[in-house]
This record gives sequence, structure tokens and C-alpha cells, in this order.
Amino acid sequence: MGEYAALIMFGAVFCILLLGYPVALTLGGTALIAAAFGIISGTFDASFLLATPNRLFGIISNQTLVAVPLFILMGVILEKSKIAERLLDSMGRLFGKLPGGLGIAVTLVGMLMAASTGIVGATVVTMGLMSLPIMLKSNYHPSVATGTICATGTLGQIIPPSIALVLLGDVLSNAYQQAQLSLGIFNPKTISIGDLFAGAIIPGLILVGFYLIYIVCLAIFKPQWVPPAKETKPVTLTELISSILPPLALIGAVLGTILSGIATPTEAAGVGAAGALLLALSNRSLDSSQILEIGKSTLKTTSMVFFILIGASIFSLVFRGFGGEDLVHQLFDKMGGGVVMATLVVMLVIFLLGFILDFIEITFVVVPIVGPVLLAMGLDPIWLGVMIAINLQTSFLTPPFGFALFYLRGVAPQEIKTLDIYKGVVPFIGMQLLMLLLLAWQPALATWLPNLLFAR
Amino acid sequence: MATFYHVANKAIIVIDRISLWTGSVVAPFLLVMMLLTCAVVIARYLFNVGAIQIQESVMYLHGTTLLLGIAYTMNLGGHVRVDILYQRFGPRYRAVVDLIGTLLFLFPLALFILWTSYDYVAFSWSLRESSAEAGGLGGLYLLKTLIPITAIFIILQGISELLKSLCILLYPIAPSNNRSTDNRTPAPGQANG
Repeated sequence: MGEYAALIMFGAVFCILLLGYPVALTLGGTALIAAAFGIISGTFDASFLLATPNRLFGIISNQTLVAVPLFILMGVILEKSKIAERLLDSMGRLFGKLPGGLGIAVTLVGMLMAASTGIVGATVVTMGLMSLPIMLKSNYHPSVATGTICATGTLGQIIPPSIALVLLGDVLSNAYQQAQLSLGIFNPKTISIGDLFAGAIIPGLILVGFYLIYIVCLAIFKPQWVPPAKETKPVTLTELISSILPPLALIGAVLGTILSGIATPTEAAGVGAAGALLLALSNRSLDSSQILEIGKSTLKTTSMVFFILIGASIFSLVFRGFGGEDLVHQLFDKMGGGVVMATLVVMLVIFLLGFILDFIEITFVVVPIVGPVLLAMGLDPIWLGVMIAINLQTSFLTPPFGFALFYLRGVAPQEIKTLDIYKGVVPFIGMQLLMLLLLAWQPALATWLPNLLFAR
Repeated sequence: MATFYHVANKAIIVIDRISLWTGSVVAPFLLVMMLLTCAVVIARYLFNVGAIQIQESVMYLHGTTLLLGIAYTMNLGGHVRVDILYQRFGPRYRAVVDLIGTLLFLFPLALFILWTSYDYVAFSWSLRESSAEAGGLGGLYLLKTLIPITAIFIILQGISELLKSLCILLYPIAPSNNRSTDNRTPAPGQANG
């Protein structure tokens, strides 16, 4: 019983989370209660807990994570200044005359707006409010419209520069160091957020390619499902350039400076946010009174993310205190099947957890526990990170519990049946799984670009 | 009976005002962080000088903002929940969950942070600790002090949340329950804030 305390705590916390109390407090609080029981029964060494303040200070003074509020700020500015709406409007008018054109426009906007993603829910809701009414007005098949929106709304998680990848990169780099230390390598190699960004680009673009091919196929074989928009004003070249060029240049510059090593992610995010603000102020889509609102909105998301990190770090401290890491090691050993089996099991667990937990929670709770074990078995950290990201995106799309489906349901009109949404995402889930298989078959899809850029 | 209601109501209003105030104070820091980060970049590429002090001040502001934003975010209901069940059940279910959660998780956690960070912060004060970075900023002990202060703000906001839950359970119409909807649970047809 005693040696399984860590696993019991792990299982208990997920049951308690379902009740609906805030995740950060539930993680930290459950861990403390478990620790109290452990101390009373003599299975937990209380001195483990004394590391807490130092851990907390480590979180707030982590230079890498300073990029997080700055990226959130950039996203909030892009969102509030309606840059995405204008982009969709002109793209829609550009492609709208063709069957499937609107679907293509939505996919491309989703890809470009990747930067503005904080949490899955917000993006899907934004994309839903923005694109669903237009698609339905053009008589798109409800399943096709909702499926496309769910998939492109979650795409932002894996296309850099996304906050999800910043967080995952930080957690994985710690896990990687730990894995190498446990193997007796005392000058461990590191991975950076730039590495993970570079690793995610090719798989992300392949996924976008899959989505586009799917929509084109629909346009050819089922044109009545994706009809051209009825009355569209033709878009002028100036309109097109003025709506597409600024966000494209901004995101290109942010990503480019990180990947070329000119700027750290934090610097790129700070300059990117300033650029977004200048952009919004210059085309008068934002007035100065909204700036304080932007600050507050950014603050809310930032504190939410870091509070989860605080709760999760206390949780993992207690998990470790109960010998949870050794336990995970032993379980993987007992299971047999080596690294392939271990990866499969972890991916399945993450997929299932994706039904109740968002990207942030899984990154902070699960990855620190299983990451070092898997990486010590010889997996490439970047490949693992990209696999986790795409796996989670798939989980968010999968009925009946996928996050994206709930959020879209929340903003979709009543005429659209929940079953329509479920049917709509099925082809996209297929494409996601295909991408995961491709990555498993050819890990170089994720590792080639970072190796090239950073000569790892 | 009515007296508890009135006292609770007053306490809720006062505490919520404090939390909202801390949020409004630190929210502009995020924009300052943005400007300072730009300054670091300009200093490095235009004038070829490192700017460790500015870089560190960004980190100090970051720490201050995210810590002092926690109680503010709690007041606005912005801390993420797993809402599969929470959203389906009515206000009484939510009040029970919040009540138990506040008592079992929030208070112990915040008190624990307060208690363990006391020695940690006191030690830092005794050294008047400054940044370990060469040429870094002083006043690291002040940044560390924010950890117990945050715990106090969380406890305060916890009292407000506790009273809100109690009022929902004890009285059919709850006082000053003016929280916005959770940012992960947009109601149908409602714009996402």
C-alpha cells in the first residue's frame, strides 16, 4: 500500500479535479493532504516540503518563462484589435468565389493566428464566433463548417510561436537534463524553446496541408457541401495587402528572430507585442482606452497559467517525496516492450487526460513525471515534445469529451446538432492520427530542422 | 439571521475591492515589461551594450505581476476548472464544491506557503539579498517577500469566496455575486471576454 501512495494520489487528484474546483488549488491542496497522511503514517519525509518556497521562487524568477506573459500580451492585442477578423474577411473574399474557398480561408487564418492562443477554449470560441456565421450563411454543410473550425482552432497549439510550446519546451528541457544526469552524463545537452519551435514547424505545416487537401477534395467530390459564397464584394489588392501583410510580417519576424538565434524567445515576444500594439494603434483598430483592458486580460491569463504551475510543482514535489518517480520507472520496466511500449502507453494516457485537462495542466503535471523516464530510454526530446503536442490536439478534437467540441457547442446556434459537430471532426481526427504515424515512422520530420538550424 | 448576511456582504465587497485593486495596480506592469524588453534589445543591437539591470527588472516585474494577479484572477473566476460536471449542475452544487474546496485546499495551501516561506524570506532579509547575477539588481529579498504576501491575498480572497458560497447555500438570492463567467465556459451566444 505504502509504495503505491504516489499512484493513489495521482488517481485521486484526477477524480477530485472532476468535481470542478480550480485546478491549481486542487493539485496543491490534494498533494498537501496526501503528504499529511504520509507524514502521520511515516511513509513521507516532511523535509521534502521545505523545498517549496525555493521552488516557488524558481518559478517566478525563471527567465525563460518571462516569454509567457509577453506572448500572451501579443495574442491579446491581436485579438482585441480585430486583426484576425479583417484577415478572415479579406481572405474569405479572395477565396470565397470558389467552392471550398471559405474553408481554405478559415484554415489559413487559424494557422496565422496561432500566436494568439492561450488556452484551447479561447481560440476555438474566437474562431467559432468569427467564422461559423459566415460559413453557415454560405450554406456550408454544418459538419464541415464545425469540423474545420474545431481543427483549425486547436491548430494554434502546435504552430509556433505558441504559448503551449513555450511551456512544453521549458518542462522538457528540465526533464532532459534530469534524464541525462540519471544516466551519469554530467555535462548534459540542453534543448531550448527555439529547438521545439523549429521542430514543430514542419509537422504543423504538413497538418495544414492535410486540412487544405481535405477541403479541396470536398470541393471536387461534394461541392454542394462547400458552396462558394453568394454575394461577395471583390477584394482589392490594397485591402488584401493591408490585412495580410502586417500580421504575417509580425509573426514571421518573431519566429524568424528566434529561429535564427538573433533574439531569445522573451525578447522576440516583447518586441512582437510592441509591434502588434503599434500595428493596432496605427490602423486605429484600438484606442488608447482599451490598453488598460488589454493589460488586465493578459494579467488574468498569466496568473492563471502560473498558478497552475505553482500548484503542479507542489504536487510533483509530493509525488517525488512518495517515491513516485522510481515507481514509474519500475512500472515501465515491468511492462516490458521497451521504449516503444512505454511511449505508446504514455501517449495513450496523455490522450485520455486531454479529455479533462488542458494543455497547460498536462504539460505541468504529467510531462515532468514521465518525461525524464522516457528521455532516459533514449527518445529525442524534440520529437517527444512534438508528438505530445499533436497527440493533445487530437485529444481535444475527439468526441465525446474533446475540449474543442464543448467550446464550439457553446457558441454554435441551436440548429446545429451536437452530432453534426462530432461527425465533422472525424476526418480531421483521421488526419491527426496519420500525422502521428508519419512522425513515429519518420522522426526526422521533427528533428531535421532544429538539427539544421542549431547544429545540435 | 439577516445580520450574518449583511456582515458577509460587506466583507465580500471590501475583499473583492482589494483584489480588484491589486490587479489594476499590476496590470500596467505587463506593458512596462514589454517596453523594457524592447529597451534591452535596442541597447544590445544599436549600442552594443548589455543591459542586465533592465533584463532583471523585467523579471522582477514579471514575478510581481503574476503573483499579485493570482487573487485578482480568483476574484474574477479566471482560474481554470475542469467543468464537465461543474457546468451542468446548478448554483447549489457549485457552492458546495467551492465551499469544500476553499476549506480543504485553498486555506491549507495558502497557509502552508505562508508558513514555509517565513524562514526562507527572513533569511533573505537578514542578508539583504540581491541578485546572484554579476551587476544585477538589489532588493531580491523584496521580490521573495511577495511570496508570503501573495499567500495572504489568496487567504483574503478565499474568505470572500467562502462567504459567497455560504450565502448561496443559506439564502436563496446571493449577495454581490457579480463574478463574470469562467473564461473557459462561455455561455451559449455570449461573446468571449
